[in-house]
Amino acid sequence: MRLSPRARAAWLRCLTDPRVVTGGLLILSIATLGLLAPWIAPHDPQEQDLLATLMPPAWAVGGEARFPFGTDTLGRCIASRLLYGARIALYVSVTAATGAMLLGTLLAILAAYFGGWVDWLISRAVDVWMAFPPVVLALILLVGMGAGVNKVILAIILIDWTRFCRVIRSEALVVMVRDYIAAARLAGFGHRQIMLKEMLPAMIPLVITMMSIEMGIAVIVEAIMSFVGLSVEPDVPAWGVMIADARQTMHQAPWGVILPVGAIFLTVLGFNLLGDGLRRALDARLVLSRAVATP
Amino acid sequence: MTLTARGLTVSATLGGKRIDVLRDLDFAIAPGKVLGLVGESGAGKSMIGRVLARSLPPGFSVTSGRLDFLRPDGESRDLVTVPGPELSRLLGDRIAFIPQEPLTALNPLMTIEAQFGEHLERLGLPASRRRARIVEALAEVRLPAPETLLERFPFQLSGGQCQRVLIAMAFASEPALVVADEPTTALDVSTQATIVQIMRRLQREHVTSLLFITHDLRLAARVCDDILVLYAGEVVERGPARAVSQAPRHPYTRALQAANPPLDGPLTRLVTLPDQMPGLAAFANLQGCRFAPRCPTRDAGCAASSPTLREVAPGHFVRCADACSVAAPAAPAVLRRLEAASSGVPVLVVENVAKRFAGKRDWLGRRSAGVDAVKSASLTVRPGEFVGVVGESGSGKSTLARLIMGLETPTGGRVLVDGQDVTQGGRETRAIRLGALQMVFQDPQSALNPRRPVERLVTQTMEAKGSNASEAQRLERARELLRETGLPPELIDRYPSQLSGGQKQRVNIARALCVTPRLLVADEIVSGLDVSVQAQILNLLLDLRAERGVGLVFISHDLAVVRYLCSRMIVMRHGLVVEEGETEAIFAAPKHAYTRALMAAAPPDDLDRPWPPDAAALAAAEG
Repeated sequence: MRLSPRARAAWLRCLTDPRVVTGGLLILSIATLGLLAPWIAPHDPQEQDLLATLMPPAWAVGGEARFPFGTDTLGRCIASRLLYGARIALYVSVTAATGAMLLGTLLAILAAYFGGWVDWLISRAVDVWMAFPPVVLALILLVGMGAGVNKVILAIILIDWTRFCRVIRSEALVVMVRDYIAAARLAGFGHRQIMLKEMLPAMIPLVITMMSIEMGIAVIVEAIMSFVGLSVEPDVPAWGVMIADARQTMHQAPWGVILPVGAIFLTVLGFNLLGDGLRRALDARLVLSRAVATP
Repeated sequence: MTLTARGLTVSATLGGKRIDVLRDLDFAIAPGKVLGLVGESGAGKSMIGRVLARSLPPGFSVTSGRLDFLRPDGESRDLVTVPGPELSRLLGDRIAFIPQEPLTALNPLMTIEAQFGEHLERLGLPASRRRARIVEALAEVRLPAPETLLERFPFQLSGGQCQRVLIAMAFASEPALVVADEPTTALDVSTQATIVQIMRRLQREHVTSLLFITHDLRLAARVCDDILVLYAGEVVERGPARAVSQAPRHPYTRALQAANPPLDGPLTRLVTLPDQMPGLAAFANLQGCRFAPRCPTRDAGCAASSPTLREVAPGHFVRCADACSVAAPAAPAVLRRLEAASSGVPVLVVENVAKRFAGKRDWLGRRSAGVDAVKSASLTVRPGEFVGVVGESGSGKSTLARLIMGLETPTGGRVLVDGQDVTQGGRETRAIRLGALQMVFQDPQSALNPRRPVERLVTQTMEAKGSNASEAQRLERARELLRETGLPPELIDRYPSQLSGGQKQRVNIARALCVTPRLLVADEIVSGLDVSVQAQILNLLLDLRAERGVGLVFISHDLAVVRYLCSRMIVMRHGLVVEEGETEAIFAAPKHAYTRALMAAAPPDDLDRPWPPDAAALAAAEG
């Protein structure tokens, strides 16, 4: 694919930004570990060893090498559960963020392009939607739809599309007053062509940045929902479920809580670093102000 | 001498190479004199103001030379090396600045009195006397009813009024030196005349030295005692204003002068220079004379050695090996106006078209008063005819263009293309309109999608629904369009950010030509360009008419440019057409008072004719 100099420069800025590189590597390694879980996990994540419950990690006193991160109350291998939990976390974050992005961006571009009552309707919907506390809204939605990981994804999409919609709409309004939109109209472009070919490409840097941040949010939301038992089935290893299971024995076996919290922390940190780095590398205003400073 | 520069050199490091952005600059301004610094964008003319204020961009520094300022106590200080605190005492007090953008130079959150008072406080004026001093200063710049302005905010004033406030502030401390960087560029012609007049008068009364930085040689000739012409960071010519502007010796100054279409006298085809001034990065690669690659009279020696400034007449210096020996080029052939066919169906008829922008509804649903952008405008364009639309900002001329193109729907009147009514949008009328009419936008920065390469920009119409051109056909068409608009073929896969201003505007024109329209609507398409590039674009438009008979509705605030291009013109003011007719007839005997005022406000070429005109005539134009 031929890259425009602008796109090439953007790529270069991304690849040389320490935040993007650190965040990207974190996410990449977590994703790799999750994908390879069936091969690298020492145990089946559901396999119980009731003779070896609440084992400490291998390096601690009383730890055993066959359970690198120790075991939980039912003697399940924490390392294996963490690896499998990464799959759930990443699956939810990618699908939920994509869904929220698609819905939010579509409505944002429609609102900015048509303006008038379309814009009014969409913007007011966003206002009303955002007035609900997100966790409460998620609980209400899940109670209504029933539990399950796909319901969690749907709930995240239904809640967080507003975030995309609001930010991207304001960016789209900036593009709308550009003369090249008028020029496209004079070139005989239809509404759909203008939105897809002229407006959308200008939104992409922002969309990518927001996606990355949204994925981090989705990881947390999924963990919360698992924790309260509204997400995956209880027998599926998810990080939130692990925390919920381990909290009763937190004082005897703190690693049972610390390790999944650490996994969530690293994943969210990765996504946030990536998002922040991408924002700095791709945001035209930031790039421009720096370019002026260093000619 | 108030300010003396000796061998001043500003350098930047770019890609490891040292580049002289400003090389070996020498000048001197005597008390009460005006020195003009003339140059196109990128010539380095704004660097001097930045050296003075020590606000050079990072990476830029003064590498040699000095800039001596004569303090009131008779001591001379080198502003390049003077300690910071002393410099800040001098700036704003002994040395004042008049900025380019009056509206952004004033704090929008402070009243005029507060801002002016702050400045006077810095100058040490006791609080009790500030108010009276402000009123006095505002009266001095001929602002009507200065007392009523004190409580106003900048956004409640016009650009010209803001600029007058800033001039009053600059002169409030009775400075020895005022630096004005393009002070009138952002203003309308009639406002420009007023501002220049006020600046000149204050400067004479206070015996202040003025450093006048501008891109407009014609204006500089009017305002300045001496002129210094910059090209690519070097002074190419320096001398008395009259000599430099009327009988320039350097080929670049000659080209600048020739690129300006005249306001009176016979019209000749503008002589243009090839290409454009090299960018900063290219300065390092320039061997010998920096102007040589574009010079019409260069010889083998020019590329080898850098010429020095030679005195060709008392006080008149030129940096050219051949400055005296080469005579001014012979006058080019007189431009023959192509008369449009008087018969035939007009391509475009605009009948009493009006546009009212409705006010916003408040929360009770009541509408606030709307704005009449165009009250009533009529216009007829026959095939191949060039019609000018002249007006100042707010006259509704850009809205008229959008109404013609169907980007706005008129609230009254009719628009006919080839005799068919296309006033109301709709699929069919749109097809008729866009097959015959295309628009060239004002600002190529905004009009060219930065994510499209040139090829996909100029052939954008072939991507529209209903057009099923193949990639090969598109490429072929793109090549044709580049050839027609004088763009080198290798630009075909470049992106807008890789093009120069002139090239972008050509791409802009090429795109409009893709559907072979019979009429182009061009909205201020040369106002953002340097004079030499402007001349190239104007000639391109004339060539397009000669080759393909395309007509043009040319919207501009610049009378000289309209006179050069158009055989007929209309003058707009406050959304109304106030005058209409043959260009030459209007220039010879303008009927409407506004047209007369507009013409009086433009500086004439003949330096013996007085300019700026008297205040009464200007008031008529501004009001």
